Amino acid sequence: MTSMERGQSTTRRQLLAGGAGVGMAGMALLGSASALAATTKGAPTTEPQRIQRLLSVELLLVYCYQQVIASSLLRPAQRRALLPLRANEEAHVRALDRALKQLGGAQPPAPHTLAEANQDLSHRKIGGRLGELKNTKDALYLLLSAERVAVGAYFVALAKLESRSLITLSAEIMANDAQHEALIGELLNNGKTAEAVPYGLVQGVQ
Amino acid sequence: MALAGCGSNAHLPKHAAKTAPAPIRRRDVQLLNAALYLERRTVAAYTAGIPLLPRPQAKAAKQFLNEELQHTGELLALIKAAKGVAIPRAASYDIGHPRDGNQVLALLHELESAQIAGYLRAIPELSPGPVRAAVATILANDAQHVCILRLEQGENPLPSAFVTGRE
Repeated sequence: MTSMERGQSTTRRQLLAGGAGVGMAGMALLGSASALAATTKGAPTTEPQRIQRLLSVELLLVYCYQQVIASSLLRPAQRRALLPLRANEEAHVRALDRALKQLGGAQPPAPHTLAEANQDLSHRKIGGRLGELKNTKDALYLLLSAERVAVGAYFVALAKLESRSLITLSAEIMANDAQHEALIGELLNNGKTAEAVPYGLVQGVQ
Repeated sequence: MALAGCGSNAHLPKHAAKTAPAPIRRRDVQLLNAALYLERRTVAAYTAGIPLLPRPQAKAAKQFLNEELQHTGELLALIKAAKGVAIPRAASYDIGHPRDGNQVLALLHELESAQIAGYLRAIPELSPGPVRAAVATILANDAQHVCILRLEQGENPLPSAFVTGRE
């Protein structure tokens, strides 16, 4: 056993204390049922409902990116850096929408106004409100928080989904949203990777 | 370059094994062991490659190494929770012969991508659901590693909206 592997459980406990990066052992320590069930009150029970929930998060993300990118809060380089992330989110929406249609489900409503989006952000306990962001840092933190909520939604869904194709799609998107987290973290922390990729087990926020 | 694998038995929280949810199938243990082999190979590559990297890249790589070790610990915990037996560390891993920082980055990129592809093959096969979710947290972190490695290589960090390990 290396000292680093010995240190692994300590790190996990630290992560648990910080409420992030909880792994399998972490879930067991918390009680796996409570770790997941706490996130699923009023939870969807069918595959279409689960995809609707994921799609609603992605629709909110797209709206947030649109608003932040269109704002005057970003420098040109930051705006350029965020454009591919918005394009990725739009691709996620299209893919989930296709999957949902195949399941016979109806697309959840997308936010059309700042008020609707802010209500959704509040409901999901995401800090920051569109239209009230004061600077670049505020804007990037809002996007980072929203991405973490998205990753958390996929984490929960992956424990529940049964269709292999939906599981694969969800895992591919969750990994991409985790990459967004890392890139926004790099922008926020001037390229300091330690802050941008702080957790070895990425489960987002539920 | 061949390097002895790092880590054999991670310190496993006893409660984890006792309270892990639902029985994990024998097939799951095989899948988790396959992932463990790839993680250990990547750990070997980081360990061997870090001295060849310039300082800022080495700092990031050390962090990634720590996270890879966390992944091996997680997989060992899952295998133990399933009352399975983890495969032993290999005496050495074939990780090629990178000679400079660029070659090390290329190697790490390749190995992280192989892990991602492996996890995406395994995740739909795994059950129960919480095990699938736990493994996805490792996949997500490896995807972050690839993204940052691509940045360091001067490549597009987000070549696709869907992470497959083939992009």
